[in-house]
Amino acid sequence: MVKQALQGMAKVSAINQDRAQRVLELQQAGKKIFGYLCIYPILEMLTAFDIVPFRLFGDINEPVTKANNFLPTVVCPFLRSYLDLGLKGRYSFLDGLITSHICDVGAGVPAIWNYAIKTPYTYHIDTPHTMRESAQAYHRKLMDSLQASLEEYTGRKLEPAKLVDAIKKHNQQRSLVRALYDLKKPDPPLISGAETILMIKAVQSLPVDEGNNLLCEVIAEVKARKNGPVKKAGRLMIWGSILDNSALVEMIESLDANVVMDDTCVGSRPYFDDVKITKNPLDGLAGHYLNHIKCPRTFISDYFAQQKDHITDLKRRYGYLGDYARDWHVNGVVMEALKYCDTHGYEVPSVKDYFTEIGLPSIYLEHDYTLGMMSPLKTRVQGFLEIIA
Amino acid sequence: MTTSEKPKVKTINRLKSMYALRAEVDKMYAAGEDATNTGKPVAWVMLGQWAEPILTAMDVISIYPENYGSVCAAAGKAAPFLEASDAEGFPSHVCGYARNCFGYSAKMKELGGAIPPSAPMGGMPAPTLLVASSEICDARFKWFQALGRYFNAPLGTIESPYPGLKESIEPGTDERSVQFLIAQLREFVTFLEQLLGRKMNWDKLDEVARGLAGINRLRWEINRLRKAHPGPMHSKDLWSSITAAFFRGSESKAILDGFQKMLEEVKQRVASGESALNVPEKFRLSFDGLPPWHSLDIFDKLAARGWNFVIESNYRPYTPVNIDLSKFGDPLERYVRERFQSTNNTLEGEYTPEEAAAVRDEITRTGNSTILQIKHVRDCRCDGMVIHILLSCRSASLNLCAMQQKAVDLLKVPALVLEGDMVNASLFDPADVLKKAEAFEETMAYYKQMRKEAGIPW
Repeated sequence: MVKQALQGMAKVSAINQDRAQRVLELQQAGKKIFGYLCIYPILEMLTAFDIVPFRLFGDINEPVTKANNFLPTVVCPFLRSYLDLGLKGRYSFLDGLITSHICDVGAGVPAIWNYAIKTPYTYHIDTPHTMRESAQAYHRKLMDSLQASLEEYTGRKLEPAKLVDAIKKHNQQRSLVRALYDLKKPDPPLISGAETILMIKAVQSLPVDEGNNLLCEVIAEVKARKNGPVKKAGRLMIWGSILDNSALVEMIESLDANVVMDDTCVGSRPYFDDVKITKNPLDGLAGHYLNHIKCPRTFISDYFAQQKDHITDLKRRYGYLGDYARDWHVNGVVMEALKYCDTHGYEVPSVKDYFTEIGLPSIYLEHDYTLGMMSPLKTRVQGFLEIIA
Repeated sequence: MTTSEKPKVKTINRLKSMYALRAEVDKMYAAGEDATNTGKPVAWVMLGQWAEPILTAMDVISIYPENYGSVCAAAGKAAPFLEASDAEGFPSHVCGYARNCFGYSAKMKELGGAIPPSAPMGGMPAPTLLVASSEICDARFKWFQALGRYFNAPLGTIESPYPGLKESIEPGTDERSVQFLIAQLREFVTFLEQLLGRKMNWDKLDEVARGLAGINRLRWEINRLRKAHPGPMHSKDLWSSITAAFFRGSESKAILDGFQKMLEEVKQRVASGESALNVPEKFRLSFDGLPPWHSLDIFDKLAARGWNFVIESNYRPYTPVNIDLSKFGDPLERYVRERFQSTNNTLEGEYTPEEAAAVRDEITRTGNSTILQIKHVRDCRCDGMVIHILLSCRSASLNLCAMQQKAVDLLKVPALVLEGDMVNASLFDPADVLKKAEAFEETMAYYKQMRKEAGIPW
């Protein structure tokens, strides 16, 4: 109850100490709580059914022990941690779990979860990896299936007006997150990269209305405060795989750099495009979640190109990163990926090619979801910042 | 026996019919060399069931970089390509086949498009086009996209549906997947027609597709015979012959003949009680994961201990589909419906109606099946599993630990866990395998007693 009285960044900090507290309160009041993995499950649909979406993360501070019986060490350490927390009961309060085909491991873990953990309701969305017409049609049909499944679970028909209302609320959240990111454009930025991660995690721990209120509070607070980040030589952008804790960014910001922009999934990725409100709202949702989230798990290409050109291809795939760099006055890029993340791993040389093409220095850091990695990485980032300077 | 010692006698009784099939893969690379001279288009293609027949019908030569990765590994020639991939900035944990391909491509680019002199089997000629697939492993799209650094070849894609297990048995899922595949392939054919400036030869596609279905059916029948005691066909024979089915299947007459001969030979062995080993079969094992292509002689040494690898979880033929294709006027629809694999199809083709119903019920209730991934272990009455966790392959390694758990929980069958890689020999320690094998025999004996106590009939 103390947290109810907290405001702004203090509330963000408190939520990050105990992410589930609010949804547990809501559950006691009769709400259903569904966990979701990564950023492709259709949150608007859950909100429209009066289900509270709660994003699931790993825990860098918790050694993986129980998951070793079910997942080999050579797969994504974040997903191993996530499964490990599930096995240890951290997510035992969930009424349901929505997953999607984010990558091979992300698609395979749900069945293992079901074998070893057993959440009352589960649904897996086979989100396509291409954006061709056939994939669009397939993804659209999956929206119907998800709707039918949730209708069966809740015993209620989905009301189109409620879905439109949910889309508007989530679009408002996207808009507020973009407003928050606008506060990172000045030099110095008004909010740090580490604070941004904690803010996004807090928002993803709350029902959409409460998340929006929190964003409004934080934006107002950050604009007014006098003790924000200080000006530094490096204005960095981070590109890469999931950072569901602020340790890496804190390490970077302990040096002569501010992290002013990111292209990560506990960051800008879920929020930088709105869902179009279409006559049938499922059309807009299907298009948004396949086409407008820029995780490299989706294959972006000119699918019928008869001629290929590497640089043209890079600009098509990563042009938005150039826009970010320009608008946030970025002077260096940290590319990071979790060890065994193939989705990002294959991209690394091409993303680096793109930054080289537009004249931005970059560094690639591979990490293993442990705090122990920070010390050697810090040395490398220090060297990189000297190059930028 | 140490790893450097060779068994005094050939411990594995290889199938004679395997040799002709194994030789077929050489022809793939010869066809690639010919294409360089004749100007025929060459596609670098990912392993999967959909692309090659279409490419063959369009008179395009298919070359498989994944197979080439195993060729380089087996020839001991992969290391320089893997190092070149690292130098290009690709993480060392990505797929060994992909790393081999990146290194090869980087060297090829340095040489102005010429085949690197160190390339075994004549190498792979530069691609006219690339054909990526999400089948088996979806990260492979990114692999071929990354080849844009080395080649300006156009890139076609074929995506496969992968519904979750629970969702896969829901009404409507199979039809949605079939329609998705048909639409994907139609887009792919359009892409090829525009690229090559010629029309699809639908009759040829029908012919190739029927041939491939025939090859699959023969392989499926062979696999069913492998339940016999003693095991009549060793995993090495499967690995040596599958390249013909996977990479030369479009040359269906020769391959059909080859697998027909293999079926007859295996039948003969079953009838006469002939083993896949030349020593007594002491332990029946399943191999789960991709094999260490660079160290296959380890299986001869294990055979000397009486270890018969009677079955595998990878490279299995799909359950043949029994439908009347004549009612489908669209050749692409015939093609997809004959080859589409689904949980429903597996349950109908591989399980008794009672057990299929029980599995469906378990999936509906829990979202999972205990038996589905380990049925081969039960069917072949294995004493143990050898699971090969691959540093560079998520899709083949992901489920192995869960399979190990399920096999112990349900069947009281233990697993020996090996860590290594399908391409990178430096990650695999044959001496360690032999040491572990000796201890694992005691484990298998212990679990045999456990099965007896649990009333499991072997």
